[in-house]
Amino acid sequence: MALFGKKKKETKSERNQTALSQNETSYFGKNLTIKGSVSGNGNIIILGNLDGKFNLRGRVKIAQPAKIKGEVRADIISVNGTVQGSLVAKERLHLDQTARIEGQIATPKLSISEGASFDGEITMNDPSSRPAGAQAKDSATAPQNTTAPAKE
Amino acid sequence: MQKDKSADSTSLLSKNVRIEGEILGPENLHVEGHIKGAVVLSGDIFVGNTGIVEADIEAKNIIIQGEVTGNVKAHRQLEIHPTGKLVGDCTAASIDIKEGAVFEGRSNMIRSSAAAAPGSSPKDLHASQHQKKPPS
Repeated sequence: MALFGKKKKETKSERNQTALSQNETSYFGKNLTIKGSVSGNGNIIILGNLDGKFNLRGRVKIAQPAKIKGEVRADIISVNGTVQGSLVAKERLHLDQTARIEGQIATPKLSISEGASFDGEITMNDPSSRPAGAQAKDSATAPQNTTAPAKE
Repeated sequence: MQKDKSADSTSLLSKNVRIEGEILGPENLHVEGHIKGAVVLSGDIFVGNTGIVEADIEAKNIIIQGEVTGNVKAHRQLEIHPTGKLVGDCTAASIDIKEGAVFEGRSNMIRSSAAAAPGSSPKDLHASQHQKKPPS
């Protein structure tokens, strides 16, 4: 609900939202090649090629035939296509079955479907949930390891 | 095949989105956002009311309702609507400028016998031949 702050229409009715998003959604067909940077507010569906950068407030859907070389930054990213470079999602990121990724991913929420391929590294920069659990486990396992060789 | 596809698929650049760079391909493009750079399409380009294009454009048909700054080349037709504004030179096989439109620049025509014929009419022939293929 409060994720988007301003947008009343989304909470009121989904129909309004789809009508709105149709107006606001850019669509780059599979025959289109873009070399350079794409920025602004709005949603994008890309089926074509991009050599460069996306920097958007909104959703980016990288559909199956799409090939991206470069950097994609957006609130929500979902990938079905091929990406070489980095993906940075502020809110969440989804790799679907046909996704092929080579490079870096940074997102607080990640989901990967079976069949997706991903070569690279992930950073999940969600500071609130991480440090307590991770450190506690480390300290719990460490002493056990040291006691084991002592018996010998 | 590609010729047929170019007519089918139309890409849309929506209002608050901006592209800086080159846009290429056999595709139609509807622009309501902002483009800076270069556009080379073998389909049509339609620059809507809110569209702003600061780029040289090459396309089959060019339809301008918004603002274009740059040289444009239409292999078939250039159309400037009453709300449209073109600052730059144009090259086209045919031009249609409506009352109220703004056009500052030079205009060159592509002679139909020389350049337009291989660009446009044979394509139509190919396209119609594709469609006429009898279902087996």
